[in-house]
Amino acid sequence: MAGQDTPVDPAKALEFKEKGNKCFQAGDFVAAESLYSKAIDCDPTNPLLYTNRGLALLKLHRFPLAITLSQHAISLSPPPSISMKAHFQLAQAQIALHNPSSALESSKLAHKLCIDEIVAGGKGGGSIGPITELVLRCKKELWEQREDERLRKRGGLLEECARGLERERDAYVSVLQAEEGKEEDVERVKERYGQKIEELRRTFELAGAVGEEGKRRKVPDWCLDDITFSVMLDPVVTRTGQSYDRSSIMEHLKRSPTDPLTREPLRVEDLRPNLALKAACEEFLEENGWAVDW
Amino acid sequence: MATNFASKRLSKELSKINGQLPPGIALVKAEDFQEWLLDIKVLDQNPLYLNQTYRLKFKFSPSYPIEPPEVTFLLCADRPIPMHPHIYSNGIICLDLLGQQGWSPVQNVESICMSLQSMLTGNTKNERPEGDQQFVANNRRRPRDIDFYYHDNTV
Repeated sequence: MAGQDTPVDPAKALEFKEKGNKCFQAGDFVAAESLYSKAIDCDPTNPLLYTNRGLALLKLHRFPLAITLSQHAISLSPPPSISMKAHFQLAQAQIALHNPSSALESSKLAHKLCIDEIVAGGKGGGSIGPITELVLRCKKELWEQREDERLRKRGGLLEECARGLERERDAYVSVLQAEEGKEEDVERVKERYGQKIEELRRTFELAGAVGEEGKRRKVPDWCLDDITFSVMLDPVVTRTGQSYDRSSIMEHLKRSPTDPLTREPLRVEDLRPNLALKAACEEFLEENGWAVDW
Repeated sequence: MATNFASKRLSKELSKINGQLPPGIALVKAEDFQEWLLDIKVLDQNPLYLNQTYRLKFKFSPSYPIEPPEVTFLLCADRPIPMHPHIYSNGIICLDLLGQQGWSPVQNVESICMSLQSMLTGNTKNERPEGDQQFVANNRRRPRDIDFYYHDNTV
């Protein structure tokens, strides 16, 4: 990645980076990406250059390279705010490449680093909203993958059973024919197996319908955030005992440092994580991935 | 914050509203997540509002519900502006709940309608706010930019 022949020159690297930032802001991601790349050549140990280039690569939909870049940034053990960015980028690239389990892991790490940033008062805390959204999206895609798998397995099972019955029927028929049985008997056997196969298909269909529609898709109130009406990912509790998702209450507190219910003063430091509720919400999402979009 | 913050929440409110609304509140139009119309009625025998239906216009910013919606009464052929000392004759409502200070993101379209219903129910004065004519003639500001002085909490 780094040009071996280029002498290390951090000042020059920063110069390239500034130019890159200008291009990035102007929406010229191709130029920005190439300038960040030059910056890295001049200073291969600065993790910020990797995350900047990673972001440009995300914009350009060059996801595999974005993954390499963010992993490289992480391997340089950067300060938490940059590590958060790198994990967030990594997760975005992974989900774009349909790898929800890795993406979930990366986005959870980004989420944790983001909370550390909030506690420390760093400006990286502002990313809590988009990071929360990404974690939820990863959970949903993971659930969808499992659902697909389950349905595919069930479909396969149906065909296997149907083929088994057909084989049994054919064996029966050939025995009858070998014994030179009556044509009517053969027809009766064929009809009986035809009914069995039909019944089998109907039963599977019914079971599928119960799985999809029969189970009523309802989100219980206890796992909903009262501000976004979405399932909570990281519930925090206020003095009133009411829980909100961290990302939405933070957004509210930015505008008005008050408790949404009582309007008493409320600061970010007053919020406490609600771990039991968090575990309960996670378990609910585990089983009901669709609820992310509800 | 994601740009679809408001639409996500509003789509959920809408599916709830489509299920059921409290008596005296009806959804008229909600084709997008920028502007909704609802009708409200006062349910008790208050002679000021007897047998009348009023139309409310909700305007949502992309950061709803962090920011309050802009809520006004809308004058239509059979939908007058209710008489109330906190409601200007152009439909602008002076209610702390809808102001920058009084708003809370746990409020929603339904709870606002219910607050307005009870604001009308409790009123006995057949009058407009002080300086109504002048305000209506001169006001060019949007309701949310007006600093109402919530001086009278009895009505």
